[in-house]
Formats: sequence, C-alpha cells, structure tokens
Amino acid sequence: MTTETRRPTRQLIQPDLPEFDSSGLDPQLRAAIADLLLTMADDEFVIGFRDSEWTGIAPMLEEDVAFSSLAQDEIGHARLLYELRAALTGEDPDRLAFHRQPNEYRHARLLDQPRQSWGFTITRRWLYDTADSVRLAGLARSSFAPLADVVGKIRREERYHLMHLDAWLERLGTHHGKPRGKLLSALKQLSPVATSVFAPLPGEEMLVAAGVLSAPMADLAARWRSEANARLCALNLRPIADGVPAADGRDHATPHESFVWLWNEFTSVAQLEEGVEW
Amino acid sequence: MTTDKTPSEGHVDDAGRLGAGADPDVWEVFRQEKDGEPMRHAGNVRAPDRELATHYAREFYSRRNESVRLWVVPRTEISDLADPDLLQPPLDRSFKRPGGYVMRDKLDAAKKRAAESAE
Amino acid sequence: MTDPLSLAPILSPDDRPTPLFADPDLTHEQRYDAFVEHVHGGQKVEARDWMPDEYRTSVLRFVEMHANSELMGVLPEREWIMRAPTLKRKLALTAKVQDECGHAQLLYRVAEDLGKTREQMYQDLLDGKTKFHNVFHYPTKSWGDVGIIAWLVDAAAIVAQQALRDSSYGPYARTMKKICWEESVHIMHGRDVVVTMMNGSQAQRDMAQEALDRWWGPLMQMHGPRTDPAKDRDLFWRIKEKTGEQLRQEFLSTYVPRLWEVGLYPPDKELKLDEASGEWRYTEPDWQELRTVVTGHGPKSQERLDFRRLHHDQTAWVRQTILATPAPA
Repeated sequence: MTTETRRPTRQLIQPDLPEFDSSGLDPQLRAAIADLLLTMADDEFVIGFRDSEWTGIAPMLEEDVAFSSLAQDEIGHARLLYELRAALTGEDPDRLAFHRQPNEYRHARLLDQPRQSWGFTITRRWLYDTADSVRLAGLARSSFAPLADVVGKIRREERYHLMHLDAWLERLGTHHGKPRGKLLSALKQLSPVATSVFAPLPGEEMLVAAGVLSAPMADLAARWRSEANARLCALNLRPIADGVPAADGRDHATPHESFVWLWNEFTSVAQLEEGVEW
Repeated sequence: MTTDKTPSEGHVDDAGRLGAGADPDVWEVFRQEKDGEPMRHAGNVRAPDRELATHYAREFYSRRNESVRLWVVPRTEISDLADPDLLQPPLDRSFKRPGGYVMRDKLDAAKKRAAESAE
Repeated sequence: MTDPLSLAPILSPDDRPTPLFADPDLTHEQRYDAFVEHVHGGQKVEARDWMPDEYRTSVLRFVEMHANSELMGVLPEREWIMRAPTLKRKLALTAKVQDECGHAQLLYRVAEDLGKTREQMYQDLLDGKTKFHNVFHYPTKSWGDVGIIAWLVDAAAIVAQQALRDSSYGPYARTMKKICWEESVHIMHGRDVVVTMMNGSQAQRDMAQEALDRWWGPLMQMHGPRTDPAKDRDLFWRIKEKTGEQLRQEFLSTYVPRLWEVGLYPPDKELKLDEASGEWRYTEPDWQELRTVVTGHGPKSQERLDFRRLHHDQTAWVRQTILATPAPA
C-alpha cells in the first residue's frame, strides 16, 4: 500500500442545472414559469413511474432494459425540472416529488391510467412522447435562458424515446389481428385525453408575451395533432380527433384511482417518518 | 439441443456458429470506447431486425455512456476464418519478422574486421 | 533492448494456438485427455470448439442457473421500484434492477449459444426443472431489505462472480468481466442506503438491523455447504475456480467488519475471526433450509414463479408479433 497524500476527490457528478441569477425576474412571470415547470416535471415523474413498472416483466428482456432506460431518463428529467423550479421558489425537489397530496399534482390526465397491456403502454407513450416533443420545441429558444438550456439537454435524450416508440408503433400497427387491435382500442380510449398535455396554463399569456414559451398551448396542440395524425394515417391508424385542449386537463381535484394507488406506492417509504433522510 | 447424443463422442454442433447458418436473430456488436480507438468486439444482442438491433446494442453496450460508436453486424454476415493451414502455416516465416535476423555476432565480426583494416 | 520499431509483439504466435483436441483424427480418448489438459493449463474453450458432453452439459447447467437467478432476482427488488423514497434512490434502484435484467439477457445469450433456446430455458424454470439462487425465494418487507440486498446479497454474489472471470468457458468469462464491472456500483448504492439509515432515526436503524437479521441465514447458505473439492466437477472443468467455503470466507472477511463499524450485528453469537487460522467461525448454516428453498419450497418460490408465468403468458402475443416480422434483407 502506498502512503501518499490523498488526492482531492474527483468531481463525479456534473451539475445538469446551469447557475443563474433570477433576482430580476418579475414576480408574476416567475410564478408562471414555476407553474409551467411543475406541470412538465409532474408529467415526466408520473410517466417515469409508469414505465419503471415494466422493469422485470416486459415482453422480452431486451425491452425490460430499454423501457427501464426510458423510465430513468424521465425521472432524470423530472428531477432537473423540479430543481429548476426549486431554484425559483426555494422549495426542495424531493419534497415537491414525494410530499404533496394527490390532488396537488399537475400531470396531464393522459398519464392517469395504469400501464395495462404492452399495446396500451406503447400507444400512450407514443402519444406522450410526440406531444412532449412539440412542447419542448416550443421552449427550445425560450427567453428564460436556464429553461432553454435544460430543454436542450432533455431533447437530446428524447430523440431515442421517439425512435424506439415509433419502431414499436409501426411493428404493432402493421401487424393485423391482436397487435393492431390493441393499438386501435388504446387510441380510441386515449384520444379524448391525449391533448391534456397541452391543457391551458394560468400564466400562459404572460409566458408567450415574455418569449418564455413560443406559442399558446392550443397552437402547440394543433401542431402536434397534425404531425401525429400524419404518422397515424400513414400506418392506417385512427387519427386524433380535433378539438381545443380541455381546461381541466391537469385538474386532479378528484384524483384518478390509479393515480391514488401510484401515490400510495411512491409515498409509502418517503412519508414513513417526518424529517428523516433516506 | 439435448445431450442425448452418444456421450462418448463429444461433438461440435452449430452452437454459436458464425456465417451462413448462424442464428438470424443474433447481431454481433463492436464498440469504440473513445474517438481514435479501434473498434473492439463487445458482445452480441438478440433482435428481430436491424433497427431494434441498434436500439438494443445501445442498451447493452452504452447505457453507461461507455461507447462513442457502435457497429452492429448480423452474425450470419460474418465470414469466419480460423483455418490453421491458412493462418498459421507450419513452415518457417522468420524471414518476415525482425526477430528472424540475428545480426549481433556477424555485426561484431564486421566491426572488428573494419577496425583492424583501418589500422 | 527491444527495437522500438519491432513488430514482434504483434507478430508473436497467437496466444491461442489451435488446441490439440480440435484434431478430428485423434481418438475420443486422446481428444478428451487433450481437452482436460487444455482447461487445466488455464486455457479457454469457445462456443464452437469440440467439447466433451459432460463439459457442455455442466457449463450449460451452471450458466443457465446463473441466468435464472438474475431473472428471478429482479422480482424481490422490483416491488420497491415504485416505493423508492427520493428521486436519487428511484433512479439508482431502477438502474440496478435494469442491470439484473441486462445480466439475465447476457447470460441467456451465452447459454443460447450452447444450443438451448431462451424459450426452453424459461419453460424449464417455470416448470421447476431448473433452479435459481436461494436468496431470491424470500420476501422483501421493508426499505431496509432494499439496502441489505443491494449491499450484501450483491456482495456475496460478486465474490463468486469475480472468481468466474477466470472460468475456462471463454464466453462466460468475458461476460462475467462485463457483469462485475457493472455490478460494483450496486454495492455502493446498497451500502449508501444502509449507512444513510444508520445515520438516521432509531426506527431507521431498527429497520436496517431487522432486515439484516432476516437475510443473514440465507446469505450464509448462499454459497452452499462445504464440499470435497476433489469431487466437484465444476471445479474439475474449471468452470468455477473456488469452493463455496472459500467464497463465504472472502465474503465474511470483507463485509463483517464493514457491518460492525456502522453498528449492525449479524445474528450469530459464534461469528468471529479466528486469529490463529485467519478463518471465520460461524454457526453452521441450516442446510436443510437451503435444500428446501432451492427445490421450490421457499416462502416465495411458487408465488414468484406464478408471477413470472403470468407476465410471460400475458406478453406472449408481443413476442409472437415481433419475432414473426420477417428479417430485413
């Protein structure tokens, strides 16, 4: 054994969140950005939990691993977005994630239902990923620089999600019988809530005016629908119906029973004892 | 495969075969660890088609960011050459190698002669 | 001095000359003897090499059980993926269970190249014809289990797996190198979970100790009873390099002091290091329990197999769809 002096510990964890000074931010705009971040973080958090449930029970071991990667990416994105919000509000990211009541979460209703079959999972993920991709594009040149920076990193990881989900949509969608049937019934079931990702936000006008968000959510929804429908039609699948995103797309005053189950799971250890570390 | 063949024989079967006749769902993966490094064989994946094979190669050989490039090749497309008659022929090839030229003694003798004749 | 331009290191004879046993003109006995000499000389065997049936069967059985264990080992920890209490723990635990799935795939690939299909291996596992490690037949009851499993079960496994990097079967040895590299982080994750609890409240410390109390018996049984090395065919074929008792001693040497230093005590009053011999003394593990458990009669054996069967059946249509897709030209 050598007895040389210990070298300083190498910096292993690169911070993903850029340092920034938000002291000059208008309080109302700050609140609107914080609210936008919470909706995005909750989306990624909830779908990350749903996907992680496949780890160990997917149709092929290769997909256990692939879906687990997607889940980890989403939870990583949720963490980054909670951290960015926390930098604006002074909250704690883990408390945001694990210590709210079920009716305080702001995820899109598209993500409320359980994972169900592989066909349902693929359909919902594809709908979510394509919608998220349009939303992220609307934030890529955000005037709020830290958000543009974070979104840039997230988009690079989301590319693989789109590739992988589209590969599955095509394989199931072009296979007549059960695989196609599963997709069609999932599309029918999810179509009414699919646009909930673009549910209007309270501070939306201000966000658009300040250049934080490139366009109103309703415009982004229309853009997403035309892109998604082009792909669905090419595969001869049922297109998403027209319509403006419902105002209550992120409202959980009466939480969905499946989300309550999920909430009970993910808070079961975190809320065992107040004020301890895990 | 079962092992109910005559136990006394031992056998070479098609297991792990490369080239024509290999399992069409097996894809061999090569990875490059850093820019400028050679591509090295990393292992293999099972996938029904080329697209998913690249996805699974990414999962199994770079989900910890351990590669900068992957090559994914169907096992059936690999030509396997391991014939010792072609690769390790038995007769002397030392003239092709630096070690085949032992000049020390000859060089010493030449130097000595040159020194003597210069005197 | 070596000539710096010399190509000798590149051109030197291949470190794997054609093995003698590959010569089809030899008699079976000559090939068998040459094969034994080959593996006893520390040389590797490759998938397509000629090999005695006993060797092929033994490697396949060994790798298949290892693969089964990774596959079934996913289930106890998987239950806690949804209950991880912080964002960091959620990421770490998901990644760890993902690795177990990945390792199952890598090992099934090795076994598949020996000639048995994955579907057949699944069927044999579900039908109780093949086994998986004892530790995965037990329930998980608290977050303490997540820490103890990731730290100590993985540590006990890695002690065995490190020795398998020298296995005579080349594809297995190479796979174990990759697996050991990936698994080292699991132990860090597990130890971090446990140490965090030990620095927390009394209830957290009690939870960790209670988990250790339950897992200690299975951990001590994990490497199996002492055996006569002379009769161990897996050792003879150099599929593995160490006996169960050697592995248990290595495990105890490294991990008992690390438990004691954070205030965790294995529930065994006999446990101590015998300074004179350098060996750990311990209460004889319950070998009857081990036999009962690995033959499918453990507290969770059937439930876990049923769970695996259920999901395997429910997703069969996906495999049929995807595998029916014609391969691209």
